[in-house]
Amino acid sequence: MRVASKRFLCFVTAVLVSGVALAGCNFGSAGKNDASPASEGKQGEASAVKQVLNVSEGAEIATLDVAQISDAVSSTVLNNINEGLFRFDDKHQPILAIAQEHKTSEDALTHTFLLRDAKWANGDPVTAQDFEYGWKRVLREVGPFGVFFEMAGIANADKILQGEKKPDDLGIKAIDAKTLEVKLDRANPLFLPLLPLAPFLPQNEKFVEKAGDKYGLEYDQVLANGPFVLNDWKHEQSWQYKKNESYWDAANVQLDEINVYIVKEPSAAVNLYETGKLDRVTGLTSSLADAYKGKEDYQKVATPTTIFMRLNPDVAAFQNENIRRAIGMAIDKESLTDVVLNDGSIPLYGLVPAAFSLSPDMKDYRVLNGQLNKGTVEEAKTLWQKGLAEIGQSGLATSMIVADQEYMRQTSEYLKAQLETNLPGFKLKLKTVPFQQRIKQEKAFEYEIALSTWGPDYIDPMTYLDMWVTGGQANRMKYSNPQFDQLVAQANKELDPRKRYDILLQLEKIIIEKDAAVVPLYQYGEVILQSQKIKGLIWHPSGPEFTYKWTHME
Amino acid sequence: MRLYFLKRLGVMLTTLFIIATVTFFLMKLLPGTPYSNPDKLSEQQLASLNQKYGLDQPLPVQYARYLGNLVQGDWGVSFQFKGRLVTDIIFERIGPSVLIGFQAMVIGSIIGLGLGILSALRQNSLFDLGAVTMAVLGMSIPSFVFAALLQYYVGVKLGWLPPGLWEDYSYSILPSLALSVTVIAAVARFIRTEMLEVLTQDYILSARAKGISEFGVVWKHVVRNSLIPVVTMLGPMAVSIMTGTLVIEKIFSVPGLGEQFILSIMVNDYSVIMGITLFYSTLFILVVLLVDMIYGILDPRIREKWGEST
Amino acid sequence: MRTLPATGTSPHEITDDLFVHEPVAAEVAMEVAASAADAPWKAALKRLGKNRGVVPAFVLIMVITVLAFVGPLLTPYTYDGQNVAHSNLPPKISGLGWLGFDGLDSNGVDLYAKRNITEAHWFGTDEFGRDMWTRVWKGTQISLLIALVAALLDLFIGVLYGGISAYYGGKIDNVMQRIIEVLVGIPNLIVIILFILILEPGITSIILAMTITGWVGMARIVRGQILQLKGQEFVLAARSLGVSNSRIMFKHLIPNAMGPIIVTLMFTLPTAIFFEAFLSFIGLGLQAPLASLGVLINDGYKGMRLFPYKLVIPAVMISLIMISFNLLADGLRDALDPKMTK
Repeated sequence: MRVASKRFLCFVTAVLVSGVALAGCNFGSAGKNDASPASEGKQGEASAVKQVLNVSEGAEIATLDVAQISDAVSSTVLNNINEGLFRFDDKHQPILAIAQEHKTSEDALTHTFLLRDAKWANGDPVTAQDFEYGWKRVLREVGPFGVFFEMAGIANADKILQGEKKPDDLGIKAIDAKTLEVKLDRANPLFLPLLPLAPFLPQNEKFVEKAGDKYGLEYDQVLANGPFVLNDWKHEQSWQYKKNESYWDAANVQLDEINVYIVKEPSAAVNLYETGKLDRVTGLTSSLADAYKGKEDYQKVATPTTIFMRLNPDVAAFQNENIRRAIGMAIDKESLTDVVLNDGSIPLYGLVPAAFSLSPDMKDYRVLNGQLNKGTVEEAKTLWQKGLAEIGQSGLATSMIVADQEYMRQTSEYLKAQLETNLPGFKLKLKTVPFQQRIKQEKAFEYEIALSTWGPDYIDPMTYLDMWVTGGQANRMKYSNPQFDQLVAQANKELDPRKRYDILLQLEKIIIEKDAAVVPLYQYGEVILQSQKIKGLIWHPSGPEFTYKWTHME
Repeated sequence: MRLYFLKRLGVMLTTLFIIATVTFFLMKLLPGTPYSNPDKLSEQQLASLNQKYGLDQPLPVQYARYLGNLVQGDWGVSFQFKGRLVTDIIFERIGPSVLIGFQAMVIGSIIGLGLGILSALRQNSLFDLGAVTMAVLGMSIPSFVFAALLQYYVGVKLGWLPPGLWEDYSYSILPSLALSVTVIAAVARFIRTEMLEVLTQDYILSARAKGISEFGVVWKHVVRNSLIPVVTMLGPMAVSIMTGTLVIEKIFSVPGLGEQFILSIMVNDYSVIMGITLFYSTLFILVVLLVDMIYGILDPRIREKWGEST
Repeated sequence: MRTLPATGTSPHEITDDLFVHEPVAAEVAMEVAASAADAPWKAALKRLGKNRGVVPAFVLIMVITVLAFVGPLLTPYTYDGQNVAHSNLPPKISGLGWLGFDGLDSNGVDLYAKRNITEAHWFGTDEFGRDMWTRVWKGTQISLLIALVAALLDLFIGVLYGGISAYYGGKIDNVMQRIIEVLVGIPNLIVIILFILILEPGITSIILAMTITGWVGMARIVRGQILQLKGQEFVLAARSLGVSNSRIMFKHLIPNAMGPIIVTLMFTLPTAIFFEAFLSFIGLGLQAPLASLGVLINDGYKGMRLFPYKLVIPAVMISLIMISFNLLADGLRDALDPKMTK
């Protein structure tokens, strides 16, 4: 027995030692940050402020393989370590980057780009071949963002996605090392606004092939040609950028170092902000937001995620326009966003969110179209009674599927109370389901009302509009209006930006004001705390979240 | 004995096989796809992705292929973190989980045993009442509340320890403390109850009668004989705590395994779900085996069972 | 050990017919029978009454249970009635201001005066302006029910399973333990999500979800105890006297394992309450706007910095319930424990 217990003790010790040893290998090296020669060099100069930015992200980088990415976190990293033909400026408009000149043919089908003398971080020049290889590789690897080539209208992209042609048939060709020619299937006003996005980045063939399966999985398995290089990446913990000295525009890059920490809990992020570990935190919950209201680092940011209700036309009552309109008007959206959610969200009376798209005359889409289908509870009641009379019912008992996210649940609780109080005879049953299940049920029309969300693919109102064409894959409520379909097709051809924007404004009016087909609720907002020291940090509503190129600390 | 353990090993592999099989098929019943942005995928894209990853094959074929790879030591690659090996993901994340879990178990067991033993020896005293109340509070208030309080007061207000992230050893202390609350409560409650029982047993009376010192009686006889329920409970608890706890890891931004599992299930990351399930089950089965062995050490009367089965 | 019959069919067994009863006078026999039947219960009740914690704990549980049903009727509000104008009001009970029920928010501003609200919300309101007093008691109702169901499940399945597994030992034990390992190994969450797709959310589905693995801890504890007990002299004695297996189990083994059983039971209560909150979150539990104490605590936690009452009140309620149950259980254990009868 004595021997046995000794053995047991030995075992415990072994577990202890191995446990600590195992765990020990995963700590980051904390001292590393301050020892960087770059930041010391800057400190010696006139400015006493360290050009170091510390921020947080809510999730780990999924991958840095250009062909595989599909999320905002990864896009953001690529946007800052790489550069394509164009990049976004502070107004989210495409500006020349690796391309120093852009020529368009008469018919707007052939685009020729002249590349500037830029270098990869390993010393190789950035060539037209890198673009040709990179774009084709995205399609070869069946990348999730392959559809962007179709959206951009690049020749043969649609057929490649259908499997009818090979990726090598894509309409891109390196004329010589510095000249790139891109052919389009159709004249496309969306071509340039898409170019700064991740799938259109160049890829260095030599490097990619050498990295093989590991490409984009570790900090030393990516090759930079942008303002920053990735200096470190501890999975699920943090990653670190350093200034890329070999970047063609390095003279205009001021930050020496950016540390990004993964923090998943907003209250934890706020605590880290208070201790000075972070310079910027996002996603403050209602109660935290209230606690910081009025402080100078408090900001509200309207994100482009929209929340709305899909009404399944298989439910007879939802074929009645008055009933649909009444549902929209019966909800006090202001109280929902300002009191119940209180997280920076703002009410939405349309499909396209505010602070997202500017017209060619630099006016906000939302301001131009105004608040559609806004009414009072009294109007809602009248429409409701009228609608009920038309369909010969005395009330409506229906259900709504809701994804199991916190703000969705809150929203649905509020909607239930609003609709049942303001529309006599309305009974709403809430069904909480996992997110994936909500999508599945929407696609299969196994719902009556769905509390849905939509985020943009690119920065143009069309990303919220063309989903409603007849038979569109994201339509999911059998919405069909020939006039709408025809206008979408027209907008996709219209090269005059002003005329096109007019069509885009009309489209929203048709679906919301005229047909009252969808019930928009609000656009998701975020309350952030941002240190006063940060200047020139650019936040984009779609694609990459941030551009750090022009950011500096004061 | 050796035969017994060989047999146990065979049984263990069978158990794992059953778990793997059931989990595989249940998992495939989950709605949705393993690809990111399910909201945006078109049918066309979905089809080509399924083809690329072999998910267009019938389920039994997929299952056979998975098992085949598994036998060769290939656990597959993640869908969510595209291309990263499942084994890499598990072994990178398990370290921090094990460290805070282990520390929580050690702190929890020491404090819990101390509290429990003392309060059993002074049954119905004020100390006892206090200890019981504390233990009850420890189990009825969820650990995220303690975690949030520790983070805010010790981490931010006092600034003694880092309130989050994972950079050096000091970052592991607050999460370990927050996690230990439950362990303290459980250990204290169990040891107290069991000691109260043991204290009334005849052999304790006879040990006392033999003139063994009070300390000797308590330590050698009472505590040792009271450990059975504590060990029964601590074993599986250690597995679940050391393989990661969602809430604590999230609050303190610890890069552990706990959150990964839930997330993987939510996004249908098939290979990671299977990997973590098998990893966790293996650990659990090993610990159950270990607990059975410890029964024998703690109470030789149980050991006869092993002889019985050989 | 092997010679000992494991089942009651062995020919070596000492059965009742081997004994011849000594004739006793009728009244003596009656007396013996009566005292044998009544004495343990009487003694147990007496010991229960003597325990200092039991009476207040019992009273507290009764008060909480009654309030859980009567409480919501004491205010004009309903648990789901929203009033955005009244959102996030701190608790206010006139006369109890010194206890913190003063209607002041965390900055010391009287929100009732500021917003010209004359009605008092005793436990404050949530972000929808729903009355917390009503919600807390409604939640207590539900949580008590869930805790009760969880406890019963644990007791029935766990004790039986663990007891049988350990008592019969050998192959049976082996198979039963492997089944537990399989159950624990299959990710719970996957099974629960599949439940959501099949079942209508509600109490039935909560119970089913809790049934999958809820009892495993209890089964393991009972097994550990019985393994230890079944080798002890009194069990051997009972066996050799030919006492039936079920009698040995229920009269000898399980009563002697009562301590750990009761403690484990006490741990299932909060676990079940919070498990239910988790289920509600992923959509299998109660559907909003219903709320349980677990859900209220989860929600309250998010606002604990600015609205501490949203967390503190339900947390205090759970703690009160738990403390009184624990005191009661400790008393019960002491009273029922056969070893204490000496």
